[in-house]
Parts: sequence; C-alpha cells; structure tokens
Amino acid sequence: MPLHMMTPGSRNLIRKITGKLETKQFLEKLGFVPGEFVTVVSENCGNLIVNIKDSRVAISRDMALRIVV
Amino acid sequence: MKPLTIALAGNPNSGKTTLFNLLTGSNQYVGNWPGVTVEKKEGRLKKHKDVTLTDLPGIYSLSPYSPEEVVARTYLMEEKPQAIINIVDGTNLERNLYLTTQLLDLGLPVVVAVNMMDAVAKSGDKVDIGELSQRLQCPVAEISALKNTGIDRLVSLAVSAAQQAAAAVPVKLGQEVESVLTQVEEEALPQLPKEERRWYALKLLEKDSQATEKLALTQAQAEAAAAIAADFEAEQDDEAESVITTARYEAVTALLKGSHVKKDRHALTTSDKIDRVVTNRWLALPIFAVVMVLVYYISVSTVGAWVTDFTNDGLFGDGFFLMGNGRAAYEEKLEEYSTAQIYTEAFEQAAQDAGVNLEAGPLSQQARTLTAAAQFMGEDSPEPERTEQVTLAMYQQALTVAEPETGDFGTWVPGVPVVVGGWLESLQVAPWMQSLVVDGIIAGVGAVLGFVPQMFVLFLFLALLEACGYMARIAFILDRVFRRFGLSGKSFIPMLIGSGCSVPGIMASRTIENDRDRRMTITTTSFIPCGAKLPVIAMIGGALFGGPWWFTPMTYFIGVFAVILSGVLLKKTSRFRGDASPFVMELPAYRVPGAGIVLRSMWERGWSFIKKAGSVILLSSIFIWFISRFGVADGALRMLEDAQMDQSIAAKIGGLFAWLFIPLGFGDWQSSVATVMGLVAKENVVSTFGILFGFGEVSERGVEIWAALAQHYTAVSAMSLLLFNLLCAPCFAAIGAIRREMNSAPWTAFAVGYQTAFAYGVSLVFYQLALLLTGGAFTLWTAVALMALAGFGYLLLRPEPKGVPVGSAA
Repeated sequence: MPLHMMTPGSRNLIRKITGKLETKQFLEKLGFVPGEFVTVVSENCGNLIVNIKDSRVAISRDMALRIVV
Repeated sequence: MKPLTIALAGNPNSGKTTLFNLLTGSNQYVGNWPGVTVEKKEGRLKKHKDVTLTDLPGIYSLSPYSPEEVVARTYLMEEKPQAIINIVDGTNLERNLYLTTQLLDLGLPVVVAVNMMDAVAKSGDKVDIGELSQRLQCPVAEISALKNTGIDRLVSLAVSAAQQAAAAVPVKLGQEVESVLTQVEEEALPQLPKEERRWYALKLLEKDSQATEKLALTQAQAEAAAAIAADFEAEQDDEAESVITTARYEAVTALLKGSHVKKDRHALTTSDKIDRVVTNRWLALPIFAVVMVLVYYISVSTVGAWVTDFTNDGLFGDGFFLMGNGRAAYEEKLEEYSTAQIYTEAFEQAAQDAGVNLEAGPLSQQARTLTAAAQFMGEDSPEPERTEQVTLAMYQQALTVAEPETGDFGTWVPGVPVVVGGWLESLQVAPWMQSLVVDGIIAGVGAVLGFVPQMFVLFLFLALLEACGYMARIAFILDRVFRRFGLSGKSFIPMLIGSGCSVPGIMASRTIENDRDRRMTITTTSFIPCGAKLPVIAMIGGALFGGPWWFTPMTYFIGVFAVILSGVLLKKTSRFRGDASPFVMELPAYRVPGAGIVLRSMWERGWSFIKKAGSVILLSSIFIWFISRFGVADGALRMLEDAQMDQSIAAKIGGLFAWLFIPLGFGDWQSSVATVMGLVAKENVVSTFGILFGFGEVSERGVEIWAALAQHYTAVSAMSLLLFNLLCAPCFAAIGAIRREMNSAPWTAFAVGYQTAFAYGVSLVFYQLALLLTGGAFTLWTAVALMALAGFGYLLLRPEPKGVPVGSAA
C-alpha cells in the first residue's frame, strides 16, 4: 500500500520505491530504501511528516504515493 | 608551510554553518558559486591563518541532481582541496554517513567530525568514536558545535591530515560491487592516478555522464565500461545506481553495528510530540497564524515602528531629545504654538477682509468686536476638523506665544541632515552641492536606512524561527496551498514582510532553496502593498471615493490576487515550467536556538542590506536627485526651485511617456511624472502631485490636493492610476534587492518587465471595461482591452504544457 494511506503513528516496512529514476534516487539518498522502517509522525492535507533513519522528513502526497509499504 | 585549503562538507541541518563560523570567526568572505545562486563562503582558520576553509553547500550525496550537489562535487574533483572535514549529525548517523562513504571514494584526505555529541549523550545513545574511526580508517573527532567542544582537536586532526596528504580509504561496498569496480578500473581507467580511479569507475557504472565527460576515454575504453555496466545491471536486474545506493546503506549499517548503540526508539521523541501538535491537521493553521501575528505585530507595529520612527524623524529628520528627556514638554509647547499660529492667521485674515487696521494706534471699536473663525484641519479629510471663534483678546494672547526652542527643554541632538546641512553651509559649499548631499544622498539613503532597525527586528525573528526548527514546519504546513499557484510554502514569509517593505521581503526569499520557487516569489512579492504605498492608497481613496473603510483592505486583496494570478500564469510559461519540484525536505529536530547563531544570522542579513544601501541605493539616489532637481529653465540646464518641478528632467521623461498611459485613462504628464517619481519611493507619488498641482509641500496623505485630484480624475481613471502604481515595478531599492537575490541581470529585467507589463494589462482592462460599463462608447481600445482579457484568460486556463523539464533553469 502507498505510504500516504498509513495512519499517523504507524511504523511500516518499505517494500518498494516506484517512479522515475531521478525521483527514486532522490528518495533513496534521503534514506527511503526498501527494507527500511518508516514511521508516519503527522499528516496535514495529504502531506506527511515521517521518521526515517532517525530523521524527520516532510514529503508531499505525490512523493508518498511512490513509497510502497 | 604552503597554504592549505580544507573543504567543509556535510548534510543540511548537520550544524555545518555553526561549525564554519566557529572555525573561522569573522574571517569570512561570502560570495556565490559560479553560475548558480548557491552561496559560497570561505574563511581562514582561527589560529591557522594560512589555512583556507571552504564551506560547501549542504548536501545529502554527491549525485548530479541539484545545483548544490553539482557545485560541491565539481569543487572537490577539480580544485582538489588538501583535506575534507565531513561534519555528520551524531543523532542521525545512518543517513549522514551515506555522504561520508561517497567522500571517502574521492581519493582525498577526510576527517569526520561527529557533531551534536551533547544531544547524543542526552538521548542515551552511545557512539564509540574510536571504533568508528578504526572502521572508517580515517580520523574521527567528536564535537558539539553548539556547545563549542572538541573543536581544537578537530582542527589539529584536519590540519595534520592536510599536511600528510594521505588519501582516505574507501568503504568497501560488498563483493559484487567491488569486483565490478575493479573490472572498470582496469579496463577503462588505467591512465588515471590510482586514488582517482575508484570515483570515476563508480561514475561510469552509474552512467553519470556529467562527471565522466572530462575523462576523454578512448572509444574502446568507453565501450568496455558500458559493456561491464550493462552486464552488471542484467545480473542484478536493477539500475547500477540503485544497486550502489543500497550497497552503501548496507555498508553504513555494517559500520555502525557495534560502534553505535541506540536506545529503543519506538517511543516518539519530544520533537515528534511537538510536531504532532504543531503540524496537526486542525491546529497547524491557527498556531501558525498566532505566531505570524505576533512576529508581525512586534516587528512592524511596536518595536520596529518605534525604532523606525526614531530613525526617520530623529536621526534622519530634524533631530531628537537625548533619552527622550524634555520631549513631552517640548511637544506641548509646540502644540500651543501651532494653535496660536492658527489663531493669529485667522484673526489677521478676518481683519484684512473687514478692512480693520490692527497695527497703527489705538484699536478701533470694530477691531475690538471682531471675531474670526479659526479652522483646524484634520489628517483624513479636506474639511476642517473643528472651528473656533477667535476674539481680539485671544489674538493678542496668541501673539505672545513664541516658537519653542528645542534647546530649552533637554539635550537636543540634531538629525544628520541638520548637522551636515549646517556644516556644509558654514563651509560655504555651493548650493547645488549642499542640495546633492542633503536632499539627494542623505534623504535617499536615509529613507531606506530608516527601515534598517525594523529589518533587524524582523531578521531576528526569522533567525529564531529558523534556528528553532519552526521555519521548516511553516513550509510544510503551507506547501499544499502555495504549491497550487507555483509558489512554495516558504513564500509566505517574504510576502508577509513585504507588506512592511518589499526590500527585506525580497531578501527573506533567500530561505527558499528551490531556484524556481525563489524566483517566482521574488517576482511577485512586491505586488503586496508595502508601507510606502499606503499614503498613495489613502490619497486616491480619500480624494475620489470618500475614504471608505474597505478601501485599503481592498488593495491588499488586489495584491494577493495579483500574486495568485501571476503564480498560475507564470507557472505555465517556459521560464518556470518543469516538473513541480518534489516537496521533500528534512525537518530538523526542534531545539533551543543558540544566541550566537541567531544574532549572527540576523547580522549577516541586515549588514548585506546596509551594504546595498551604500552602493546601489546611493547611486540611484544621486541619479534621481539630479533628474528631479535639474532641468532646462530659462534656456539653460540648471538647478530648479521646488515649484519648477514641472520643468525637471524627470518631468520631461514623464511627459515623454505620458502617451503610453492614455489607454489607461491617465495620459496627462502629471500622472506619469508622479508614477516615474514613484520609482524612487512610492510615497513620492503624493508629494509629486502636491508640487505638480501647485500646492508646494503637502501632508503625508496630501489632504490639500484632494479637491484638485477629484476634479482632475474620474473615479475610474484614478482607480486605474492606483492599480498601475500598486502593481508596476517597485522602487529602486526593491529593484536593487531583486537584482541581488536573483543574482542575474536577465532575471531582474524579466521580473521588473513582468511586473510592469502585468500592471499595464490590469489597468488597461480595468479602465476600458469600467468605461464601457459606465456607458462609454466602444472604441478601438475597448477591443484591445477585451483581447488582453482574453489573453490573460488563455494564459491562466491553458493546460500546463508538458515537455522539457526545466528544473533549475538558468
């Protein structure tokens, strides 16, 4: 399921990153790689704040769509 | 010892700027990296003056996808600093060490500085620095930039690494990647020095052509590399770049296993708890609104306004009482004196009208019984506020009231113009020179410098919001809203500040990282009416619309509307087109900001403004002074009296452009001169009208000329004039700020050109359609306006063109 459907507070294992190569690499260098756990901290109009590799990252809905958990 | 250069590299939010300031103190040079608007900072190490430290932009990796990354890696590969200090955030080692593994591949000496060790200790985590150093095979120092600990050791490690010049040992990326790397090195890169091969082998595998194009490989070598990469990808069933990224993360995980003990982190951190409230879907906007109202109220309405009034009226005005002693008494006397003046004038006028002689001999009976009506004018209306009957006794009493002398009430410090003016006069400097210095330079630069205190207060708040971590949340909260019209969540701050003055507003756009969003924000910020436009709004509203309460708020809505329209419209043009930049940003943990960091950031922004006032604004003040004070009168180019302003060069230029404004309904030369003078400072529009309509000096809102204006314009043409002045190119100071923040002449020209064209279009459409609706005839210009309206509509509603993504268009 795409990450944007996860409820705040949930901790999810990333299975796949989809989308264009450039987007994928952008997400990967921020730590969004398959096999990593991502926690949704907060949600605001579809934009998410998530916890990945001990740092908080804000991502838009379009980006969250590409992270499959 | 030969001069050394050390580069400072690290993730954004890793404390890099703080460390850089600690290491270099005030020995800094700030510029831009060539070709991009990425700030470049250099400085000399304290205690090691022969060592230059170059601050690289904050980056997550050395991939070629953002201008910051390209700048950093080009610098590292081509300039080859003698060493790299890699600062990593100790509370977030996994992500930060990703960049470290890339830096270690470059073949340069690397020293790792693990920052925020104080926060690590507090959270209960443990980092075994010795073990980490051994595994990375490079020196590792533990520091806290915020608390200023461990810095000396870091400096000595870095300097000795630079002197020994031993290339760092790369972190192994696993059997499969390593063997394919060796293969590429052997077959395609044997000609390179040994320590450079690995980096280029990686880049060849990743098909990063930007990094490898300078290698000048033979055709056979290039083909060999491509073949190896293709085989590798087929074998792994994935892009080589993804495989390498994953391998790096795995290597980092392995590095940290045993050297890094994390406390169980399933519970939310304090920072996360704050985020759950502050970025909550219901509370986020109200909390944001409260914070902004506070910031705005304190910096613009209270503290800022006090200090700014002092600067404008005191320092750059007549003068002020030291510590305010005696001011109240003086003002009371001054009030008394001006009342007396009004009495005397009214009574003498009445006497003259009645033919009564007040001067000679004993007063006649008629003089004794004469009364006069003294009118007290208000600020907001041409009607008198109150009328008093003045009798002879009151008149005689009034005659005895003397003008108060400032010196009698306390320690009076004269303002800069008074001091300099007096000084120039005592030296008997030529009158034109006195005028240049006092009316041109001091008035021009002073008008802008008057905003400095207010800006410092604003910048202080901005620095606080940034340092505590809330600024990043603002961007998050507002992003959804602003994204729709091509702006970023951070565009709000410039617009808010812009309602005080566009100059600091435009300068505040620097917090927007994305080039496209920043340029869009810079271009549209000055649509929001600034403080200097308010007198113009009040004048037109008062003179032609009877000053209704909704008039000024309406202009703010017009400004906001102009921003939204422009955003939607520009987003679709080729200059701003491209994939919407993905909104992904790291949110730093909330922390109590260090005073030094906040003050420094405030000072840097404020100082760069003051420097600009000293250059661009100084020059434009001189230029404007010249064209508005000189003109051809009596057959020769000479300096003019105030009343002769209609003969100045500025007036002639205005006259030249007047025809352009005919379709907008204000094609008379006065309007165009006032508009041109508005480029100096928008409040000049009012004073220019005062002079041009022959009233000499007028009050701030020009109450005196309201009647003349009401005759000169129709409601429609006045509104059109106001619209144009609200939206067209801002004052020179703001154009200077645009130039600085765009860091490009073509972009500045584009911004100013767009603003003016937009203003022209809006005024044209408004005027012509309003004429038509109020019963005017359908003319050629009506047709043009309708076409312009259709054009607007098309530009707004057309589908977003797909195609060449411009990304960070230059």
